[in-house]
Amino acid sequence: MILEALEREGVEYIFGYPGGANLPIYQHLHEHPKLKHILVRHEQGAAHMADGYARACGKPGVVFATSGPGALNLVTGLCTAYMDSVPMIAITGQVVSTQVGRDAFQESDVIGATSSVTKHSYLVTKIDQLPRVIHEAFHIATTGRPGPVLIDICKDVQQADAERVNTEYLEIPGYKLNGHVNLDGARQAAQALAGAERPVILAGHGVLLSHAERELMQLAEAAAAPVGTTLLGIGAFPVKHPLSLHMTGFMGTGWCLKAVQNADVLMMVGMRVDDRVTAKLSEFAPNVKTFIHVDIDESEMGKNVRPHIELVADARLALEAMVPQVTKVDAGRAKWLGQIDKWREEHPLRYRQSNGQLQPQDVLIDMYKRARSEAIIVADVGQNQIWAALWWNYDRPGLFINSGGSGTMGFALPAALGAKFGRPDLPVWCVAGEGGFVMTAQELSVAVEHQLDVKIVLLNNRSLGMVRQFQDDFYGGVRSQVDLTHMPDFVKLCEAYGLPALRVEKFEDIAPSFDAAERTKGPFLIDFRIDPEANVYPIVPLGKGLGEFREAPEYA
Amino acid sequence: MLEIKPKPAVAAPQTHNRIRVLSLLVVDGQNTLTKISGVIRRRGFHVRGISVGPSRQPGHSRITLQIDHGHAEADQVRKQLERLVEVVEVEDLTGDDVHNRELVVATVAASELDALLKRGAKVLSTGSDGTTVEFSGDADQVADFVNELARHGIIDVVRSGPVVMRKSE
Repeated sequence: MILEALEREGVEYIFGYPGGANLPIYQHLHEHPKLKHILVRHEQGAAHMADGYARACGKPGVVFATSGPGALNLVTGLCTAYMDSVPMIAITGQVVSTQVGRDAFQESDVIGATSSVTKHSYLVTKIDQLPRVIHEAFHIATTGRPGPVLIDICKDVQQADAERVNTEYLEIPGYKLNGHVNLDGARQAAQALAGAERPVILAGHGVLLSHAERELMQLAEAAAAPVGTTLLGIGAFPVKHPLSLHMTGFMGTGWCLKAVQNADVLMMVGMRVDDRVTAKLSEFAPNVKTFIHVDIDESEMGKNVRPHIELVADARLALEAMVPQVTKVDAGRAKWLGQIDKWREEHPLRYRQSNGQLQPQDVLIDMYKRARSEAIIVADVGQNQIWAALWWNYDRPGLFINSGGSGTMGFALPAALGAKFGRPDLPVWCVAGEGGFVMTAQELSVAVEHQLDVKIVLLNNRSLGMVRQFQDDFYGGVRSQVDLTHMPDFVKLCEAYGLPALRVEKFEDIAPSFDAAERTKGPFLIDFRIDPEANVYPIVPLGKGLGEFREAPEYA
Repeated sequence: MLEIKPKPAVAAPQTHNRIRVLSLLVVDGQNTLTKISGVIRRRGFHVRGISVGPSRQPGHSRITLQIDHGHAEADQVRKQLERLVEVVEVEDLTGDDVHNRELVVATVAASELDALLKRGAKVLSTGSDGTTVEFSGDADQVADFVNELARHGIIDVVRSGPVVMRKSE
């Protein structure tokens, strides 16, 4: 019944783990050869795989887990998907309906534990609810602002049979979809942007989710307005475009932050305007006279920044409506763009190249030369994530995947495997620090089992680098619990798991190691022993305004 | 929530201007109230009054909420609640011309009840351990009534949350 419904929804992959409370589903899995089930090694891995799959191919990721610990192990993965608006369906087994509330074996209140990290959730206690619930769940997960939906199904319901009902017709009175564009608002927004002396557009994940990259480009070029992206919006606008400001936020580029802080009109599209984007809120974009906010979720309006013009709509439709409304561009535009070019020269991205140690940026630059814009990069969380965001010139959408809102360490490996299942036609690279990598390293078994062609780039600095950098710079230089000297020998670890690996300690060995990785079919890991003192720059000190960003020292 | 001590003075809360009055139409279901209260807690709002009852629509309930919106923009309460699939409709009645009714039931020791009856109280029962009365009114009237009750020696008192309806034009 459940599996049939999933087939009808067009599901190809299920990432899951069986247990007592979902045995009835697994009993019939073999009767549905169209559904390919990937046995993970921990349920968190399943959630991240489904997440990576969904982000890479756009289809909702599907997860199975049993009751109690199985379902609770999904919580971090659900939160990761929820914070980044990723469509996902989690189907969890629940104890028999007559046992609910009796503290049965492996019983837990899954709805209670997950309702703050899901877009919606259902507890199914009767078979006749099931077909409608599954169809609704897919609709809710994938429409509007996408997100994870959890269906908790009692074991007796899994065993029951029901008549197939017509699921074409959906009636969800409490589910409101905002798609319609207020044309007046669009005209006002377009004219404010074009008529501004110093406009800036910031693009978030919503631009990618609604496939609005073309319309964004048209608007930016028509209004001659520069475009920065959030960490999750990377790829929404090509980094090498003359109007690109690269990444914004508290680890964004100096020229983007200068532009934001000096802008008089700021248009924010498909983004939540969270604290990592604004830094100190009271000092965010202090010269802006007109904030314009475009988002499909009405609750984002004024949640953090009160816009003067708000458009609650799909980003693509809103931008499309704005483009023809751009008529007269302000005469001072060339001066503004010239100023930004000057900031670009004054505040370049730079890193230490002179101390003889292996620098993470060198590794990433070599990777980019090979991958160009033909590979998906899945980054973990921490310094590796920001380096991978800043040192690649993403010029196409959908090539950079990372856990932005939740900042979940351990995300990269399982998400990269999921991305490869979703886009087997593209090379997939996983970039991670050794700290996050070991949090979900058991999923290497999945990579080996399915011979997934995923190349793992470990930026190993023998410490929790981002925390170490914060302690050095903002917490009095007291290094506390960041030393990761005691870690496995990753080459031997890979050998134990059954995949080839190399260790690289010198600059000269970067290229040959990538050659070896590219020659090898299937998974491959390179343990880059990078400079343990390498830092992420620019960075805005915690609690300060965006204008106070610190840059990399001018290394000799 | 509301704690009534058998003493006068029910001071208006300092946060009076942060209170939103909302009327919600919700789908009946085992998860509905959990999800609504979860959103309220998670977003830093605070419930000052709540009442739940059936609505005219089968399968749906009407919830009246008085909510302190905390440090968030006032309209965030409505927007965040509207995100819930269980919530069909949210009407913000703050500042509107409304009927706002609350109910209080109290048992008092005194047998001289003229002052209470003059205010519109109704006697529900009398017994050896006191007289039980009920009274309904808007928030101020109920607060006044509770103050008056205190002079009669309150043995027990319970108050409902508010029910609010927009006045017809």
